[in-house]
Amino acid sequence: MTISETNSPFIALSSISKAYRTRAISVPIFDNLDLSIEKGEFVAVMGPSGSGKSTLLNLLAGLDGPDSGDIKIAGQRLDHMGEAARSAWRAHHLGIVFQFYNLLPMLTAEENVELPLLLKPFPASIRRERVAKTLDLVGLCGFGRQNPSRLSGGQQQRVGIARAIVSDPTLLLCDEPTGDLDRASADEILTMLGYLNRELGKTIVMVTHDPEAAEAADRILHLDKGAFVERARVMS
Amino acid sequence: MTFLGLTRKSTLRKPFRVVLLIISVAVTFFIYGLTASFIAGSQGTAAASDELLGVMNAAGRNQPLPMAYLSRIAALPGVAEVSPIVRLRGSVGDARNVVAVSAGEPDKLKAVSGEELGLDPSMLQALDTGWDKVLVGRALAEAQGWTIGERFTVSSFRTKRSDGSRDWPFEIAGIFDGKSSSTDTYFVLAQYRYINEGRARGKDTVATFALRPEPGVAPQELAPRIDALFTNSAAPTRTLSEKQFLSAFLSQYADVKHVVTLVVSVCFVTLLMIVINTMVFALRERRFEIGVLKTLGFSRSCILMMVLAEALFVFLLGGSIGIGLAKLASLALPPALGLVFDQSVLLRATALVFLLGLFAGALPALSAMRTPILSAFRTR
Ligand SMILES: Nc1ncnc2c1ncn2[C@@H]1O[C@H](COP(=O)(O)OP(=O)(O)OP(=O)(O)O)[C@@H](O)[C@H]1O
Ligand SMILES: [Mg+2]
Repeated sequence: MTISETNSPFIALSSISKAYRTRAISVPIFDNLDLSIEKGEFVAVMGPSGSGKSTLLNLLAGLDGPDSGDIKIAGQRLDHMGEAARSAWRAHHLGIVFQFYNLLPMLTAEENVELPLLLKPFPASIRRERVAKTLDLVGLCGFGRQNPSRLSGGQQQRVGIARAIVSDPTLLLCDEPTGDLDRASADEILTMLGYLNRELGKTIVMVTHDPEAAEAADRILHLDKGAFVERARVMS
Repeated sequence: MTFLGLTRKSTLRKPFRVVLLIISVAVTFFIYGLTASFIAGSQGTAAASDELLGVMNAAGRNQPLPMAYLSRIAALPGVAEVSPIVRLRGSVGDARNVVAVSAGEPDKLKAVSGEELGLDPSMLQALDTGWDKVLVGRALAEAQGWTIGERFTVSSFRTKRSDGSRDWPFEIAGIFDGKSSSTDTYFVLAQYRYINEGRARGKDTVATFALRPEPGVAPQELAPRIDALFTNSAAPTRTLSEKQFLSAFLSQYADVKHVVTLVVSVCFVTLLMIVINTMVFALRERRFEIGVLKTLGFSRSCILMMVLAEALFVFLLGGSIGIGLAKLASLALPPALGLVFDQSVLLRATALVFLLGLFAGALPALSAMRTPILSAFRTR
């Protein structure tokens, strides 16, 4: 590993181009996009609908590949990996929080949280222990046996966060994690994300429409017409 | 929770649908089990030999041959022994209790198929004590609860006696076991002279000549030479091996085996379509969940295995139920139906369960594996 590599940012996108193609037309989303995020940063991404925020998260998660350009996360070239390698990479390094929680309805809260651990070589006892600890961390101690449909939106999102962090990933991607919640629940979730960032050192990239939510981040990126317009965080 | 637990929960999410699927699999394998037992039983196949030959009327099984052919066949080089055979089918007691009687000349019959049937000299001596003495196969004796010395009367369906009655009384002189458990022993072995003297019509005719070639003489080479003897007679013959004979016997009934195979295949194809269709739809409802699992890092092969496991679960459960019921039915139904649910039927059914399970799961599994994950971030 060369010095420049060790010093390169945790997330480095350079000259990313991406377009969605249908049979007849090609919709360009990004053209030569650059982005770097340091380890331990909490970054909010804002921008009008259709500006490509979710597309960006898809690229960062290895769920989709760029047409051209490099994606390097924690020293690994995501765009060079095959599908199987990216699955394994996600299982190890990534937690994802969705706007609509995306919990599996036939599983209990704790089973949902346990899902990512099935991909690890842990014995059942360790898995149970970690699930309990994580549910405790998100303030859902005692709710493990509940079916997600019987929990409030805020509680479901906390299950979603527990699932995202249970395997102790370094990077958390959140797509409008508070988009479906009332103010109070949203604030709880944001507090929790702030805690995960500051106390547990998670790097967080959060897409949001909500300026108040964006305030929880260290840095706010505005995505517009496929390019970033960076603004300093307004300290209040 | 384990992978298996996750698969089980996904499978049982719509219990009603799964139960219906399991029932259709069970019904199909029940039908398969019964028909396979029927075919296994009616062939008596494992035991039927290629060594023994049967000579029958070329015009059809129900046409007799003159007894006079016996000496001409016996004189042919390469023929070790020949026995005339006549058959009599009828009921004992209850009209549905059907019993088949084959009558031959005891010493000749012993020379021809004594080994296959497990006949010993003492049985022949016992037969010799009276014209109405018979030997009964073990399977039939057990089914009827008959013992040596017991008398029974067969009411013949077709063969009338000289006095106009159809009742043929017999006395059991011995019970034969057959060489192996797969030998068909569900019949009575009677004496040709008793039937021939007693019957009103068709005296001195036979249904078949059963013969054994001399050692070293190929049956398939001997058969045409026998038929050549009688090409220009009033009753030309057709000579087949016991195995060919048995299948020729079955094919008489509109080629039963082929019809049965066809029906069972149609059942299986229908079953496959039902299961594949249901699973593809069920998975379409779950596309979203599969997308979520993929975002969590579940690999494509992982998803593939989970869906295959689901299909296998349905087939294993349904298949076991169906096969189990078929086994029970083969034991419970009257032995006259000739259902033999043996090891080979079980093995083939089990192999089919796995094969069809994998096949039914393959298409849904592949489509689940290819489910794009991109939709996971999109709003619903
Ligand atoms: N799979 C796809 N195929 C074709 N077009 C797509 C696809 N995914 C997204 N798009 C288009 O790309 C553009 C950017 O989509 P994206 O989902 O990244 O926007 P977004 O910023 O997340 O919007 P929103 O705030 O509404 O979630 C949109 O115009 C969308 O219609
Ligand atoms: Mg979006």
